[in-house]
Amino acid sequence: MSENNGQDYHLTEEGVREDLQRQPYVLMRLVENAFIVAENLRGNYFENTSKFIKDLRKKILLAKSGESDPIISISNINGANWQEVQGEVVTFIDGGVGQVEISGQIPILLRVGSYAVRTGERNLAEREQFGYYPVILGDLEGGSKERKDFIDIVRITAELLGGLSALKRTPNLRLLMFHGPLMYLMGNYAGHSPFTENDIDLFLRSYAANPQLASDLKNKFLEEARIQIYPKLAPGVDTDMIQKKLFDPLAWMAFLYQQLISEAKKRSPVPIIAGVVERGRLREFSEDVLLERIFVSLRKKNNQNYFNNLFGRTDLKTPGILLDRLAYTDAILMAMLMKPGQRSESWIINKLKGLRTGQTILTGEARATNMDWSILKDPLLGFPKIKGCYISVSDRTEPIRVEVFECLGEQQIEEAAKRAYLYSLLIPGYGFPVGLDVADKFAKVPTWLTNAYSKLIKHHLSVSLQKGEIKDAEMRHLLVQAIYMTHRDWLFRPNP
Amino acid sequence: MPQIATEELPEKLEKQSFVGTLVGESTSRTFRLAVAHETIREQDIIAVDVDLKSTEQNSIKQKTRLWAKVQQIERINPLFPVEAGHELAETRTSPFDTVLSLSREMVTAVCQVLGSEPIDGSAGGRLDHVRYPPQPASQAYMPNSTDLERVVIGELGTKQSRALDIATLSNRPSVTVKVDGHAIVSRHLAILAMTGAGKSVTARRIVEQLAERNYPIVIFDPHGDYTGLADVEKLKGKVQRYYAEFPVFEEESETVAKVVDTLGYELTPTMQGVFDDVFYAAKQFFIEDGGERKRREQWLALLLRRDTIEQYGIKQDMWLVGYLAEAGERIVQMKADNEGDWQQLETQLQEWGWARIDTYSRTDKRTIEGIKKRVFKAAAALKRMETTNKKVARSANPLPINRLELVKYGQISVISLAGYTGNFQATIYTIIANSIFEAKVRDELKLPVVLLLEEAHNFVPGKALTTAEERSIAITKQIAQEGRKFGVGLIMVSQRPSRLDETALSMCNSYIIMRMINPADQNFVRRVIESLGEDEAKMLPDLDVGEAILSGQLINFPVLVRIKKSESQGEREEEDAFVALENAQKGLEMEQTKQNGNSRRS
Repeated sequence: MSENNGQDYHLTEEGVREDLQRQPYVLMRLVENAFIVAENLRGNYFENTSKFIKDLRKKILLAKSGESDPIISISNINGANWQEVQGEVVTFIDGGVGQVEISGQIPILLRVGSYAVRTGERNLAEREQFGYYPVILGDLEGGSKERKDFIDIVRITAELLGGLSALKRTPNLRLLMFHGPLMYLMGNYAGHSPFTENDIDLFLRSYAANPQLASDLKNKFLEEARIQIYPKLAPGVDTDMIQKKLFDPLAWMAFLYQQLISEAKKRSPVPIIAGVVERGRLREFSEDVLLERIFVSLRKKNNQNYFNNLFGRTDLKTPGILLDRLAYTDAILMAMLMKPGQRSESWIINKLKGLRTGQTILTGEARATNMDWSILKDPLLGFPKIKGCYISVSDRTEPIRVEVFECLGEQQIEEAAKRAYLYSLLIPGYGFPVGLDVADKFAKVPTWLTNAYSKLIKHHLSVSLQKGEIKDAEMRHLLVQAIYMTHRDWLFRPNP
Repeated sequence: MPQIATEELPEKLEKQSFVGTLVGESTSRTFRLAVAHETIREQDIIAVDVDLKSTEQNSIKQKTRLWAKVQQIERINPLFPVEAGHELAETRTSPFDTVLSLSREMVTAVCQVLGSEPIDGSAGGRLDHVRYPPQPASQAYMPNSTDLERVVIGELGTKQSRALDIATLSNRPSVTVKVDGHAIVSRHLAILAMTGAGKSVTARRIVEQLAERNYPIVIFDPHGDYTGLADVEKLKGKVQRYYAEFPVFEEESETVAKVVDTLGYELTPTMQGVFDDVFYAAKQFFIEDGGERKRREQWLALLLRRDTIEQYGIKQDMWLVGYLAEAGERIVQMKADNEGDWQQLETQLQEWGWARIDTYSRTDKRTIEGIKKRVFKAAAALKRMETTNKKVARSANPLPINRLELVKYGQISVISLAGYTGNFQATIYTIIANSIFEAKVRDELKLPVVLLLEEAHNFVPGKALTTAEERSIAITKQIAQEGRKFGVGLIMVSQRPSRLDETALSMCNSYIIMRMINPADQNFVRRVIESLGEDEAKMLPDLDVGEAILSGQLINFPVLVRIKKSESQGEREEEDAFVALENAQKGLEMEQTKQNGNSRRS
């Protein structure tokens, strides 16, 4: 392919296929998809995908020159160079979970790591600071430990506190970057039992150098909860919850988000606060923005059967159905539409769709209580709005998604995307901001630690069994199985 | 979980002496140490206090100090991806300008266990084998100089009379390293290094130390490296320098014929047949009786019309072979021409030893003439070598006829071999070494002796290409193998160890190894010297001038040292080439000025 006709070649099916071959991860995703889509879509899945992408690329190009309806805008990430970001203080936050294996994987402890660095600083002692916030899950009284996502609410809470702590402790912080979404789909975490005051004290133990600050934060939440949140969230039991000092996990998280924003707004310039997601499975951008606009455009031209004709079906009438049937995700489609160094337009990500009424069991009670988490959709009271965009870092990796708070200004997404791209360029094989990789390694709970915990737990269980402290026959049987399913270990030998 | 009883906790260490903590898997041979930045260096010797039972059954735990050497230090920043390094290089970006983490480094030292001793040092520096690994999380520390000196010297501490003070620890200059002189003189030593690494200085330091103890030393010095020994104040009167003359008549005629060949004047097969007669005749012609010898000199001078023969006399050298050839040629010519009293001359020569002179005809005359020409040329070449040799030796003393005079109590005999080609050097060495060794075997020589071979690869090459080399290898191997029994030691000094004979080198029980860049030499040394560890071998190209690894019986364990300066200097101490040029030019200019002054006056 010559350079002269490179642009045209990019707009042909061959060009699309060649691009796919250069992007092994996209190819692998498509291969996976080809196995899970309906049988009549499998045969020509690659060919039709190539045709669709070719048409889409053409359409985006035409829209850019005003010859067609706008689809999505893709722009180059300009000005991404290290000279421009010298002297900036950046903090990266990531949480790690330590799991032990007894009969299955059991999360046992969690730690959030922070890595703060000032670019251009030559003095190592001044340049970098590391912090970590450990939480042993067994110490917590609240949360629904039987739920698989119990670990997630603990991690998200700890990460938010880590971020807030970094922001408060660093007056000149330019960027606070989280590993993962800036905000998860919060509706998924509704229904967990509230945390107790002891739990919150555990969370806050590493939060502030001065214990008074931690106490102030806790009391501020309880005051806001008493006045504004709990009466709507838990009508009828709100007073009880305040008296018992119970912290609804979602309300507590929403409060922490508000604290982050409020602290950021006090600064000038406003620090950038962002989350960066790798290997995302989101399809919202494709459904609500990209394909929605395509369908509108097709309908305008009475070509609404374009996809049905292309794939030989009759049911591909909405973006949602199309994505269901063809298993495309944002990452797959954007990888095929963007080139390295480009970013997609941003959109408001709907993180709150699952927030509705439901039930929870308050700590210390047996029966369920009705709750209404939909009140946390209010961006002033509950969770703030999140804006996101996709960035293509290199041919070898999936696009990453950058998320920022919409309320912190228009510049946030542009500046966050620029830095996320710049930081990712240092590890193109991973295609992810290197600072988050550092925080990830730092936060990782080492295997020796979890192994040691595992051995201790097994040892204590074995001793209990030996001493006959566990009487229940069925329980004894299960424990023996759980312990000795793994390799025999010298720690299990009877004490001399 | 195993508990550490309070009384078992290690003594609180001084902060400045603490170097690290044992991590990971430890064995009785090696362990790993997590260390703080730059607290230790490779080849440092450190200690760990441990509670271990002795090997005896039912013994109780006792405080033991375990000694170890830092073999390798690994430094890694686990938060700095390799890929990022490539990107920085590609974009010419300083890592400090990015968000990369540069501060979190892990430094781990891999340590080799040397042995253990009672914590109070009561074993006198003797280290026992360790049969049980030290406890993980033990603290390692830098021992004080006194303790360190004690274990480096080992049992030698109690035998100071044989301790030679030759070095200091490379990483701890305050710690003196003494080596076992007994091991050196009785079980042979090899000093191996590339040119300029300091091997001759090392050898001289050892010689000086041995001389202080009056040990007889015979040095074979091909380059004048040891001439400076005589200038050392405390060695005054102890050093005897000799120039070497090639002992022609101690060789077989065949060998001497080859010498003539080697010097570039090839004898034809016909000549070789006759050479034997000529050589034998010359050998017989020279006699010790002064009066009779004078008579023969007169006879020869008259026959050959060479007044110089009568004037300077004859010696047992190549010239005499040439004179005899010329005499033979002349008598055969006279006989052919029936000139003068050829019969009397022929009979005289027959009487003096040339029995077959009467069998030669006119045709043989040309052969004898060819021998004469070649032998004279070879004699001239040999003379040139001898002259150079004398000059370098800075001595008027020829080698004593009785070689055993080289070995005297408190004497260093330096035999200059400078100026001679390899074969001559090897031959001279072989003759002397043979005489000394045989005398020791026959018990005719009572004193022990150590022979020092500078440029040993010329005397004991791995592969002999000439007869001279074959013989020098044979005697060296014999001394290496049996010398200990008869009190003959060897010190082999070489800059090309890979060219040395493997057996001879492996018979050395002590080694001083210095900077070595040539990979062939490194590999050879690694293969032959069992006591040299893999990590030590890897250090060889990076050693400084004067730095050395001591290994083998001369030391308690292999150790990196800096050799102390010798008091003497060698002939070859290198002068800056450009300084030498300027000095030479100044000399020429002064000479020119002087000449001009003289011509004006005249």
